[in-house]
Amino acid sequence: MRDAEYYKSIGFRCGLEIHQRLDTKEKLFCSCSAGIAKDKEIGRVERFQRAVAGELGLVDPSTKFEGMRHRKFVYKVYEMSSCLVDMDEEPPHNLNREALALGLKACAVLKAGVPDEVEVMRKVVVDGSDPSAFQRSMMIGFNGELEVDGKRIAIPSIFLEEESSSIEGRMDNVVVYGLERIGVPLVEIDTGPDIRSPQEAKNTAMRIGLLLRLNGCAQRGIGSIRQDVNISVRGGKRVEIKGFQSLETMDIVIENEVDRQIKLMEIANELKGVDIKGGSIVDLSNEFSGVGNGMINEVLGKGGRVMGVRISGLGGFLGREINEGRRLGSEVSDYAKMAGVNGIMHSDEDLSRYGIDAAIQTSIKKRLEVKEGDAFVMVAGEEKTARNALTLAIGRAEMAKEGVVPETRNVDSKKDITRFMRPLPGGSRMYPETDAVPIGVEGRYYAEIGKGIVWEDQVRERLIAELNNVQLVEQLIWSRELQRYFRITERTGADTRVVADVLLEKFRELSRQGIDPYSIDDAVLEDIFRRFASGKITKKAIKEVVKAMPKSAKDVDEIIKKGNLERISGEKLRRLISEFAKDGEVSRSEIMSRYGFNIEGEELNSII
Amino acid sequence: MYSERISLILSKAQAKEGDRIRLETERGTFEGILMPRPDTGNSNVIVIKRDDGYNVGVEFSDKCIVKKLGSRSGEFSFPKYEARGNRSLPGISMIYTGGTIGSKVDYVTGGVYMLTKPEELLYEVPEIYEMADLRIRNLMSIASEDMTYKEWASIAETVASELNDGSSGIVITHGTDTMHYTAAALSFMLKDLNATVAITGAQRSSDRGSSDAFVNLVRSFQVAAGSDIAEVGICMHAGSSDGKNYFIRGTKARKMHTSRRDAFKPVNSTPICTIDEGGKLEYISEYRHKEHGRGKVKAVTGFEPKVALIKTHPNSDPGIIEYYMGKGYRGIILEGTGLGHVPSSPSIKDLSWLSNVKRAVDAGIVVGVTSQCIYGRVNDKVYRNLRLLKEAGGIHCEDMMPEVAYVKLGFLLGNYKSEEARKMLAVNIAGEITERSVADFDLV
Repeated sequence: MRDAEYYKSIGFRCGLEIHQRLDTKEKLFCSCSAGIAKDKEIGRVERFQRAVAGELGLVDPSTKFEGMRHRKFVYKVYEMSSCLVDMDEEPPHNLNREALALGLKACAVLKAGVPDEVEVMRKVVVDGSDPSAFQRSMMIGFNGELEVDGKRIAIPSIFLEEESSSIEGRMDNVVVYGLERIGVPLVEIDTGPDIRSPQEAKNTAMRIGLLLRLNGCAQRGIGSIRQDVNISVRGGKRVEIKGFQSLETMDIVIENEVDRQIKLMEIANELKGVDIKGGSIVDLSNEFSGVGNGMINEVLGKGGRVMGVRISGLGGFLGREINEGRRLGSEVSDYAKMAGVNGIMHSDEDLSRYGIDAAIQTSIKKRLEVKEGDAFVMVAGEEKTARNALTLAIGRAEMAKEGVVPETRNVDSKKDITRFMRPLPGGSRMYPETDAVPIGVEGRYYAEIGKGIVWEDQVRERLIAELNNVQLVEQLIWSRELQRYFRITERTGADTRVVADVLLEKFRELSRQGIDPYSIDDAVLEDIFRRFASGKITKKAIKEVVKAMPKSAKDVDEIIKKGNLERISGEKLRRLISEFAKDGEVSRSEIMSRYGFNIEGEELNSII
Repeated sequence: MYSERISLILSKAQAKEGDRIRLETERGTFEGILMPRPDTGNSNVIVIKRDDGYNVGVEFSDKCIVKKLGSRSGEFSFPKYEARGNRSLPGISMIYTGGTIGSKVDYVTGGVYMLTKPEELLYEVPEIYEMADLRIRNLMSIASEDMTYKEWASIAETVASELNDGSSGIVITHGTDTMHYTAAALSFMLKDLNATVAITGAQRSSDRGSSDAFVNLVRSFQVAAGSDIAEVGICMHAGSSDGKNYFIRGTKARKMHTSRRDAFKPVNSTPICTIDEGGKLEYISEYRHKEHGRGKVKAVTGFEPKVALIKTHPNSDPGIIEYYMGKGYRGIILEGTGLGHVPSSPSIKDLSWLSNVKRAVDAGIVVGVTSQCIYGRVNDKVYRNLRLLKEAGGIHCEDMMPEVAYVKLGFLLGNYKSEEARKMLAVNIAGEITERSVADFDLV
């Protein structure tokens, strides 16, 4: 791990965009359920999207890039959680006031100002994740701030917007999305570029997540919070990273990304004064008639082609390492893949593994007019696809001189590195949502919302009083189950420590066994604790009931009955003890081994 | 519009919409482009477009200071596609009339407006230039709810002159609301038509990447350039998916949904053909074929505007007929219930329509009877009340939709004497009446 000094020396700047789904009943612009549970699929629609001219008559670079890919999008329509609005078949309904209130609460938590009137905008998105090809978004907060480890982090903007749809599958040029998630309200919180180390980035993200959870803004469940990270280093360009699966590895991914950016700038430095230029694309298929390689033969056998291109001046650079196991060639390859090929072959790798021997290489070089100091890139695939892939590859290769390329990148969570996703969007992709009216926000209303804010210290104080265990309190505060802890203890009267233990420890144990206790319904979980509080089941039995994942209160009773999980206590317990008594002696372990789920140890002890 | 107070302050600062301004308020400073005030909301709220593209509304107070930082940089305009003629392709004329298909957002002012130049729309669908030798006729730019018989006549005349001038097919872009009225009108007005006339539009405006405009346009050109259909039809999405379009006879199509892409359905009929993703045409039902030597197409554009379309319903007042008689109307289409009923012997005697219908007919007004069921055929025999309506002089219009019967009667009275029109109303001219009622289990 490098220290803060190092990051200062390279001019590291980082800002976060935290996206948190809000805990509302309905979606942002329609009355579909905002719960994320999958329901019944009732049909599918297939659509195409086009890159349309945006503001100022320009097509945004990211939009144009997507448009080049000519993909078909399939949307799965669900019965309860999607409707014509989600399918882009009906104008939006009125803005969900519950979502606005929660969004404003997030603004109040971050001490932001709010506009007097909220204007709904369309943000152009053409990766298909939105059937309308735009996302509805509005700025609801500005000039906020947050303190992280004693340092002030600026929060210049807070947005309320629609969630995109979830990707369910991809094959060739077809992408399948589910519409159950699209339109779920989420709040986006942007920090200023004030963050100066990967660790600070992680801490900031954690703290924002915590404050949103404490204030009941956050929907629970995996994927309900996402962090995008913007990074630059001195002399480079801004890169946006999406798709952090967990905060655990955020700092490591950022460190690796910084390495990549620095290596790219080193390469650019060495390329100063060199003319990097892609040549013309040449069909090299007939050079490969005798090649024994499976991949190439397979492509040619299906009527595909092997196409190649010379990149002047880049000889030796495609093989330069930029991350562990990743080379400049890998970056070029990631661009080519967007056209639908599996990758590229290039002059700085061992081409013999594709069955391309020295003689063929010489011949290829001749055909491509490769001279000393030049590189070349080849792609195998259907002709049009291969041409598109090489066009994209040339584009990236020529940018080697620029060092860091402004891009949106995705986290590769297996290697904790980032990979190219699409060019960084510019400002040409916002325009007013003409189907929605502006929403006035009265100062008084916002002030009222601000009064209900819960701060970390208040919560800590309350929990220490309830649990009397600092370690447990810290665990609970940072846990996603905190809201449930409050709800259950307030509504069921169950022992606070038992509730905390089940939500933290027992849930973790179950999760290790491959069961997902976190997705259990709130009302059902409350019912289980109600049975415990009223003495119907024991502490130990709670986990057993949760494990069976009941769907309703009726199921809870059935599980208790079928699993013989009813608690034995009082007179019944006394009778049971006397049955076990031999010569006046009672074996506690014998009873517990048979009735461990049914008897509370303390009660047994007190009787014995 | 901004309030008078704000307008005054803005003009003092010499700030116009589209200019870059700075607004200093007690709550912070806002910088960006001054946007026009939307029609709704608080007119004392100034809308500014920030550099990140977001609009934000700030209420103006006496302590606010407005400063102009720069002027609007030029007029906003969409890129246009430069037409390249390719004589080896079929000559197709595109007649542009407006509607959602040509609606775009002005990103500077935020308002939706209609493109005045079809080239701006075609910029998004350059593949059309690979399908046809395109001729663009920029006829008008209006919303279809504003269409009148004058525009129908103008479109019909343009179609005729384009075809007689050598075009081999026509694509008309049109707003969707009254597209089926125009389609019916053109079906009646274009005599001896020997080419495909495809009317198309969009349910989603073409400023969004998901617009149905692009697919609808491409497939309209495919059917106009590649079919041998000598009829007017509507070419719109067959389903919510982009995969397939219908080409529906102009006298049998109806907008059946307010917002879905597949709003247009054939009524009492099947589509003439479908056009798929690859541009392949599949013919489903009988149609009028193109024929050599049919001669020139004529636009017969007479239209009698004094025709009313009246819907009857429980408690409806038949006095409305007197009203129209007083206004000099020459034709009435009744949109009755069920098989073509009007209230005939209700408990409240004044609500019976029979005597009013008879008075109208006796005064020389042509009265047609259709059904608000939309699907199915009317009948003048099954019930006594139907027979009474017939005796009163009502003409049951077979399986014609009310809107089509309305357009047809206007056309007939515009070009023929009332007595002839009366005879022709329930006789097929342009596919509006079919003899057989074919079972179709998918469409109703």
